[in-house]
Order: sequence, then structure tokens, then C-alpha cells
Amino acid sequence: MACLSIDSVTKFFGGLKALDDVTFSVNEGELVGLIGPNGSGKTTLLNILSGYLSADSGDVVLDGRPITGLRPEALARLGVLRMFQLTRVFPRMSVLDNLLVTGSALGLPEAEADGRARELIEDLTLTRMMHLDAGQLSGGQRKLLEFGSCFMVPPRIALLDEPFAAVHPTMKEIMAGVIRRRHAAGQTFLLVSHDMPVIVELCPRTVCMNAGAVIADEKTRAVLTDPVVIEAYLGEAAA
Amino acid sequence: MLLIDLTVNGLIIGLFYALMAIGLSLIFGILRIVNFAHGEFYMIGAYAYTLIALFFGISPWLTLPCAFIAGMALGWATERLLMRPLYSGYASWGVMKDEYAVIITFALSLLLINLVDKVIGPNGYRGPSLVATARVEIGPFMASGHRLMAAGIALLVLIAVGLFVRYSYWGRQIQAVAQNRLGASLAGIDTAKASSIVFALSGGLAALAGALLSPIINATPDVGAFPAVKSYVIVVLGGMGSIPGAAVASLILGVLESFGAVYISYGYRDTFGLVILILVLLFRPHGLFGERSREV
Amino acid sequence: MAVIFNDTRMRDRTQLVFSLGIFALVALLPAIVRNEYWQGVLIVSMYFAMLAAAWNLLAGYTGQFSLAPAAFGMIGAYVTGLLSYHFNAPPLVGIPAAVVVAAAIGFGLGRIVLRLRGPYLALTTLSFAEICRLVISNSIEVTRGDLGLNVPGIFDHRLTWYYVMLGVLVVIQLGLYFLLRAPAGLYLRAIRDDEIAATSRGVKIVLWKTNAFTLSAAISGLAGALYGHFAQFVSPELGLLSQTGIIVSMVVIGGLGTLPGPIGGAFLVYVASEFLRDFGGYQLIVFALLVIIFGRFFREGLWGFFRRAIERTGRRPAPAPSAAE
Repeated sequence: MACLSIDSVTKFFGGLKALDDVTFSVNEGELVGLIGPNGSGKTTLLNILSGYLSADSGDVVLDGRPITGLRPEALARLGVLRMFQLTRVFPRMSVLDNLLVTGSALGLPEAEADGRARELIEDLTLTRMMHLDAGQLSGGQRKLLEFGSCFMVPPRIALLDEPFAAVHPTMKEIMAGVIRRRHAAGQTFLLVSHDMPVIVELCPRTVCMNAGAVIADEKTRAVLTDPVVIEAYLGEAAA
Repeated sequence: MLLIDLTVNGLIIGLFYALMAIGLSLIFGILRIVNFAHGEFYMIGAYAYTLIALFFGISPWLTLPCAFIAGMALGWATERLLMRPLYSGYASWGVMKDEYAVIITFALSLLLINLVDKVIGPNGYRGPSLVATARVEIGPFMASGHRLMAAGIALLVLIAVGLFVRYSYWGRQIQAVAQNRLGASLAGIDTAKASSIVFALSGGLAALAGALLSPIINATPDVGAFPAVKSYVIVVLGGMGSIPGAAVASLILGVLESFGAVYISYGYRDTFGLVILILVLLFRPHGLFGERSREV
Repeated sequence: MAVIFNDTRMRDRTQLVFSLGIFALVALLPAIVRNEYWQGVLIVSMYFAMLAAAWNLLAGYTGQFSLAPAAFGMIGAYVTGLLSYHFNAPPLVGIPAAVVVAAAIGFGLGRIVLRLRGPYLALTTLSFAEICRLVISNSIEVTRGDLGLNVPGIFDHRLTWYYVMLGVLVVIQLGLYFLLRAPAGLYLRAIRDDEIAATSRGVKIVLWKTNAFTLSAAISGLAGALYGHFAQFVSPELGLLSQTGIIVSMVVIGGLGTLPGPIGGAFLVYVASEFLRDFGGYQLIVFALLVIIFGRFFREGLWGFFRRAIERTGRRPAPAPSAAE
């Protein structure tokens, strides 16, 4: 059953066609990888899915309900939660407060939000820093925090934009662990990454984009040996 | 021939406005901040021109460059002492660098106004005319000799600045920094120096405007308030960071006010600019020529 | 052995206690300050403290650096002033009306500037403030323009005014404290820190930004109305940009984004300005200079000094200093 359906989404930036008739679905409980060389439109797509940009044509449907044109806050409350490529946390609020914001905004009563936040902080091994301002954390710790924010309230779909980029292997493992566990429990993910080993390990299915279009959408192993994909990354000769 | 008269007068005023606004536009292009003390550079120029000529009995043609230099010095000092936190990775204000700039330049404005008010006194000083001719008639329209001369000087200076920014070595450095600060520094450009130059230039131009207009608008401590507001309107209308935009917007505003004062209301003539400002910020925030920026 | 300032609840509570301490001090002052003039100075400080607290809510906690705080004070003062001047309305009608009108205008302004940030926001609110002042100044038939309006007083004794204003100030401060400890406080700070991140976490930024503007305007309107009845006179000078400058100075010097900052800053700056008035009116110069110095070097204001002093006396040294708050 399709959780998220992307249907013929096209987006222009002036004369540049950033997204070209993108169509694919993420089914309930799936962990789908999204790969593609830089500039292929992955982040633009994510921005459209999370409400920061509007598509010029095409539809996005969540659980059978069209969500094109909804504002980011509304989408968050519908369960579309995301990470940003350039980590965004609230630097002058404590780690705990960072999580409490999401909890309260998404409707959790204060006591419950507090409990969940502390649990998440434990899982993310950020306990020592619970009361520090997020601005004092290292880059990797901030990514963990932003990652954690996606799970205060179990999202319908978690859109993770390069969570492993420039992150210490230990933290990578922590995030991968959380993803694995939650996926096993039925959480739906769309994972954008350049980290192929992780994609292979976590994602049964992968979509590949290039120059704004979907060029492959199949089992991960098949995608990685797909000549079209190899050509996109390495050029014609390599394929 | 009221129409021609109003139009030409409007254009002349527009030239003076342009002198004020270009500097502000440059600062925004390079630092992405609005300098709320801009009006006070104008004021300092007016005072420098007027008082030096008055007390030392020097010809106004010599004190005019003095005013320019005074403005440049003040601008340079402001940048060196106060603006570093905006780009030197100073952690305390962190993401709130816009707000830092607002507070600091706002306070600077208050400081300068009150300093001058205390040290020199609240009374106005009338600046000396550049030329003795009181009235000049050119075809159907009439203006004071000084006003025409001042407009001529303003035009020359504006052209010079335009050429400087476009073609000179430092002009191109400034353009580079305005487009991409980090990239420019990686390419070896001294971005701090570029900022200093821009602030100095901005101060000098505003001071020059103050000096040129002082025979028409007396130098008082708070004389900088109204040209400052005009500059904000122009920079926003023309598009922040766009010099041709600022130039065009200056002329438009000058003409609009000229007609508005006569045909709509004299008392509210200062409000036109403010209303334009709000409307532009709401409906076309990148102004006539500015660029839209991508947020996410 | 508690690490004193790294738990935000404790930090906020400490700030509240500090504020209440200042209030207690001020409450006791009339025992030493018998002079009516100086009691009046303190009362006017309370007016500024309310404006400062309101602006701090908007700028320090929600990140919206509006340059219109004085304008809302002026609006509040004129609502009650005009109602009594034209309709003989009693203060009991005038003051609530002032709050409602100021809040409504604040709401409107908030909606207008929703998409603006930094210098754009500052410029728009500045224009708005100036337009308000010019309109009041020029509408001579209605407002008597620069001549101002006479407003009826309420209490006969200055000391009654003293404690009423102080009482209102305490209520405002407590209200702000509870607001900031509630989820609302989290939303406002999130908006200040990163609007985009806030939206991605589900925070309704339109709603909360507007709320911040409305509440800030309401408090300012109340302050203005009370001041109007105290001074028994209102004029467009209340909305001058330099008044906004004073309010901003008070908050920056006291500590932007803290609870006691605007309160302490207001009393300090205004009382000091009265002292300095005797030395020849250098007060604005000094305060502008202080704002520049504090802004440049001591972002946390005077509160920062207190915070560091308190942390140093704690048994364990606090880990890396928090940026602000």
C-alpha cells in the first residue's frame, strides 16, 4: 500500500528543469534509498515533499490524500518529518528543549514529551549534553540531534537528507541502528545518501535520479549494477 | 510650464538622493546589512563643510572635499571598530548578525546625533553656497545657482563611482565580495579591506550629499533623519545591492515627491516614501532590480 | 553540587527570582525615597520597564527586531487620551480600550511583516512607527497635533500610582515567565533560532509570530495608557524614534533575551539618565555608547555578569558558557 506517491512532479528554476516528470512511490513500511550525482534534484524533491517548494506540475499524495501545496508545518503534523542537508538545530536552546519543541508542536502532552525526549537522548548517546545549548555541540552531535527530532512522534515517513555526510563512524552507526530498529518495527523511510555501503546495507530498494529524472527504481543490488546508473555517476566510458 | 519645472526639480533632488543611497546600496551588497547610522554621515558632512568654511574662512570649494574626507574617515572607523563581528566568526551573536547590525548602527546613530547636539549645539548652521549666482534661468525653468552646481557635481561623482565600481581594481574586488564573500576570500581578496573601502566610500558620498545640500537644508544634529529614510526607501525600491537600481529609484522618488508635494499634500510629503517602502517590502521585496535569493 | 545554569528550568526560575528581587527592592524604596520627584522618576521607569519587557518578548525571545515599541506606547496613550478628550470616557474604559486597539494594530503589523527578516523587518516597522507618529502629529483637529492632549489623572497620591504600576509590572513579568515556560516559550525561541527548522518540526510560525506581535503591542499599549493617566498628558513625542532607542538601550544593557534584563535595564538607564540630566544632558550619549559597547563585547548585558558571578560561586565550575540566556 502506497504511503507516499510522487506523480509526474516537475519543477523549473527559471530555465533550468530541476525535476523532470518524477514518479515513484514509497510503500508503507519501506526503507527506500534515493541516490544520484550532485545536482540530480534529490534535495529539490525533498523540499517539495516537505512543503518548502511547490511543484510546477504533478502531484504528491500521502496516504491517499494530496499534499501538494501544504505548508511545512502542516506536513510535519501530518507525519512528514525531515532532516536538512545543512544541519538545522536550535542553537540557543538546550538539546532537551530542541526535542521538546517538536514533541509539543506535534501534539504530545508535556510530561509524555519529556519522557520520550529523554529516552531518545539516551538512544542517541547525547545524555551528557542534555542541558547544553545545541550551538555548543559538535557538527556530528548536531546531526544526531536533528535526526532524533524526526522521531519524537513516529512519523508517517521520515525524509533523511544525507544524514551520514561528514559524520563520525560511531555516530553513523548510532543512526543506522535507530533506522534499522525502527524500520523493523514498520517505520517508513526515504533515505538520501551518497554513502553506498550504508544504502546497500539498509535499503532493500533504491531509486536513482540524474539531471532531475528518475533513471532507476529497483532492488538496490540491481540499481548499483545498472549501466544507466553507472553512466550517470561515472560517465559513458565506465558504463 | 509647471510640469517641466517639477520634473527637473524632481530629477535634481533625485541626484542628491542617489548620492545618499548608492553608498547604502553598496554596503548592503557587501555586508547584507542596513546601516542605520547612514543619515549621520550626511549630517557630519553638512557640519564639516559648513563649520570649516565658517570658522576658517576657507572657500567652500576647498571645504567640500574636506567634508567628503570626514565622511570617509567616519565610515572607515565605523567598519573597523564595529562591523568585524559580522564576518569574523564572532560566536556571541552567532546567527543574529542582522540584529547585531540593527542594534549597533541604531545606537551609533543616536550617539552621533547627541554628541553633535552636545558638543556643537542644537542650532542650525547654513552652509555657504558654491556659486554666488542666486538664480539661473535655463529656458522655461529656474533654479538657484548653487543647486545647479551641486547637481552637476553630484552627477559627476555618481558617474565616477559607477566607473570605479565597474572597472577599477578595488571596484571589481568589491563586486566579487558582494557576490560571494567566501569565494572571494578563497581567491585571495582581502574581504575585510573591501568592506572598509565600501563603508568609507559610503560615508564619503553621504557626507558629500550633506555638504552640497547644507545651503538649502541647514545643518542640525538630526538633519540626517530624513535623507536616511529616503535612502532606505530607495535602496529597497531599487533592490538591495543593485547600484543601477538605486540610481533609477532615486530619480523616481525625487520626481514622485516633487509632484506629490504639489498635487497631493505638502504636509504628508515625507510619508510617500515610507508608504512606498512598506508596499515594496511586502509585495516585491527584491525591489525593481534586485535578486531573489533561495532560502532552503 | 548542582551545575547551576545548564538546566533551562532552573535558569528561567533563577531569572524570575532575580526579577522579583528587583521588584522587592523597588517596592521598599519609597521608605528611603521620600521625594515626590524621584518617586515619579521611578514610576516612569516602570513605564519603560513594561515597554522594555514587551520589546524583549518580541526581539529577545522571538527574534523579531521591531523598531516600533515606542509607537505602540504612544498608540495606547492616545487611545485613552482621545476617548477621554472627545467622549469623556473614564479611564476604566480608556485603558482596556487602549490595550485592545494596540493589540489589534500589533496583530495587523505582525501579519504584514510575517515574511520579513532582519533589516527588512526593521525598516518596515520603523516606517510604520514613523507613519503613526506623523499621522497623529498631523491630524490636528482630532489630536491637537504636537500640542498634545491633557488626560485626566486617576489617583491622588503618587504612592498609589507607584504601587499600582509596580503591581501591573509584576503581573506582566509573571505572565511572561509562565508563557516562556509553557510550550509557547519553546515555539517563540525556536522561531528566533531558526524559522525553517521550526516549520520542519511542526511549529506554527504564522500563529506564534503574530501572537508575539499582538502580545507585545498589548503590553506596550497598556503601559502607554497608564503613563498617559499618570503624566496627565500625551504627545506625539512618545512615539519618537529616540524613545525606541532608549527602550532598545535598556534591553541591550540589561540583557537581551533574559527575564530580568529589560527590567533591571529600564530602572538603571532611566534613573541614571535623571542623574546625568543634572550633569548636562549627556545621558543619551552615554547610553548609546553603552549599547555599542555591550552589543560589541557583552552580548548578554548586565545579566551576563550576574550569571557568571553566580556560576563561579557554584561548587562545580559550569561547563562551557552558554551563548546568552
